[in-house]
Amino acid sequence: MIKDSTKANHTAKWLVSGPPLLFLLVFFVAPSIIMLFTSLRFPGEFGGLAPIAAPAEAVSGEYGLTLETYQFFFSDILYAEIFLKSFGVAAASTLICLIMAYPLALLIARSEKRFRNLMVLLVVLPFASNFLIRIYAWMIILGPESVLSHFINTVLGAFGIAPVTLLFSPFAVLVGMVYVHLPFMVLPLYTNLEKHDPALLDAAQDLGADAWQRFWRVTWPLSLPGVFSGSALVFIPVLGMFAIPDILGGTGDILVGNLIKDQFLGTRDWPFGSALSIMLTLAVLAITGLAAWFAQLATRQRSVTETE
Amino acid sequence: MCRNGMTHNPYFKEFPNKCRAGCRTFYAAARLMAMLILSVLLIAGCSRQEEHIVSVPAGENILHLFNWNNYIAPETVKRFEQSCNCKLARDYYSDNEEMLAKLAAGAIGYDLIVPTGNAMDTLIRQGVLKPLDKSLLPNLKNINPTYLNSAFDPGNKYSVPYAYTLTLLGFNQEKVKELGLPTDSWAIIFEPKYLEKIKGRVTVLDSQRELMAAALKYLGYSVNDANEEHWQQARDLILRAKPYWAAFSNTSYVKELAVGNLWVAHGYSNDMFQAALDARKTGRKFSIGYSTPKEGAVLSLDSMVLHQSGMRPDIAHQFINFMLDGKNSAELTNLIGSGNPNMNAIQFIHPEIAGNKAIFPDGELLIRLEMLQDLDRKQRRLLSRLWTEIKLRNL
Repeated sequence: MIKDSTKANHTAKWLVSGPPLLFLLVFFVAPSIIMLFTSLRFPGEFGGLAPIAAPAEAVSGEYGLTLETYQFFFSDILYAEIFLKSFGVAAASTLICLIMAYPLALLIARSEKRFRNLMVLLVVLPFASNFLIRIYAWMIILGPESVLSHFINTVLGAFGIAPVTLLFSPFAVLVGMVYVHLPFMVLPLYTNLEKHDPALLDAAQDLGADAWQRFWRVTWPLSLPGVFSGSALVFIPVLGMFAIPDILGGTGDILVGNLIKDQFLGTRDWPFGSALSIMLTLAVLAITGLAAWFAQLATRQRSVTETE
Repeated sequence: MCRNGMTHNPYFKEFPNKCRAGCRTFYAAARLMAMLILSVLLIAGCSRQEEHIVSVPAGENILHLFNWNNYIAPETVKRFEQSCNCKLARDYYSDNEEMLAKLAAGAIGYDLIVPTGNAMDTLIRQGVLKPLDKSLLPNLKNINPTYLNSAFDPGNKYSVPYAYTLTLLGFNQEKVKELGLPTDSWAIIFEPKYLEKIKGRVTVLDSQRELMAAALKYLGYSVNDANEEHWQQARDLILRAKPYWAAFSNTSYVKELAVGNLWVAHGYSNDMFQAALDARKTGRKFSIGYSTPKEGAVLSLDSMVLHQSGMRPDIAHQFINFMLDGKNSAELTNLIGSGNPNMNAIQFIHPEIAGNKAIFPDGELLIRLEMLQDLDRKQRRLLSRLWTEIKLRNL
């Protein structure tokens, strides 16, 4: 009897976890293996990849597998610099998104039920128009002849500060990144905050906690899972983004996404593009791993202090 | 209306009307996905190549043309269909890589393709083109000999020139005159003494090959010079000028020039034609001019070639001969401001286009135009690293 139930349990477990596992296998593990394999090959003469086995009529050329691409990657500190810079931009975008999204998500979660769905809809509404069109709109908003630019420069001029250009700058890239990814931060935060039991806050108040304490000791710790998933949903896409720096960035705003895109479309160097992607995937995995570890550590510590 | 970005930057090419960088970025990404999926299939061992066979109903006269977007005038198509009593089935590509990728994936049935120099070179070396029968092309005599006999196809065994684009300088005529800047030299985008007057109002192409070509030309080298030392000199020249540039731009410069935000741009002649037209149509207080620098520039020549898999080489030859007729060839130039290698066409081209020295350079300058040749994989990787340095670092 007991055996039977564990067996059924086992099957159920597989039935539940099977589809996501399969999904991961097909859409993450398999492509990564292909990418790894690609990164070990030679680029083809016309782009693409050189064949693995030398064709019969080939006189010269390089075939088979090689570590040359990785050697090239590590031969210059340049690529490490780009990685660092991209992580910096991704971290900054995530932080700004978090600061902007949290009050909004809290507002939606605390407002009357009948307005909530409408407000969520408004958050998602920008998705109705194409992402590139919205980025182009920012080109107009930030352009040198725009109202915003004129206003800012008049104000700066009043203080005797030289005029600034907004478009084609790291600032414009950051604006674009935050703008596009903000809903990805709001939604997980809202889903989390909405589930909080208001009785907890009442209890805290009854126990003498002021508004700040109620937030910092009750709401914030409970919302951490939302913060983490929102951050992941912003951080990782920003890291791979190439269109925004391409359109809004200036002469120095290259990120690792642009570099990878260039390998496939401009340089026709698939192995190097794949090697860069592999390195990026590893870096992201390392960071998420570290973050998860820290999160676990934090919750454990908290539970320890609470039991004390 | 924007057949702009030609050749070597496969990323920014042509898209259905008015489609600029962003949309290209999107398409480029989509294509990238397609290519990756393709490679997945190849690696996974799906050796059975899918063949995209263009269906040809028996007994009908259909010519399959694989061409750039917006690269033939509608009235030309209509007249050809009448004259040959056949149908012209058209398929489009927006850059050379896309065309090559489609053919590599097994697309067959195209009679005619219109690739740019280096892509044509690839097709020739892959052995997928059919030699031309010149006895069927009496109008070949109309082509200016300067555009024949290119390094890619000596003796024009496979190809007949169709149209060309130049990579040159576009500028706001009033501003440039007011500031006293030279417009006939690459110096305007490389020399700090000129650049400081137009800081933040200049863009250059976001293309490794095109920008390096301009720098190499300014330094007095060939655009195909692959000497590493010369590349480093070009990199230093670019890094010195970079602080003055607003951005690297492949397409948005068209609009920015036309509305007056930009004063000087490095770009393609078709795009400058478009920008000048836009500025005029919207009644701006300034006009957009463009000129080919005296040091020389990149010439991107597109040619008609016959694909091996074409079913109707007879109509294909008819079409080539038809397009070699001055009037038909001129219609394209009148539509998009492309360069025209056809001597007979000049009389049918609007005088303001035909008289434009930037699109139709003469004598001395003509010799200084060069076509980009493909780099080998090692050079490509080195150039890419140099390019990353240019993007990331400052002098």
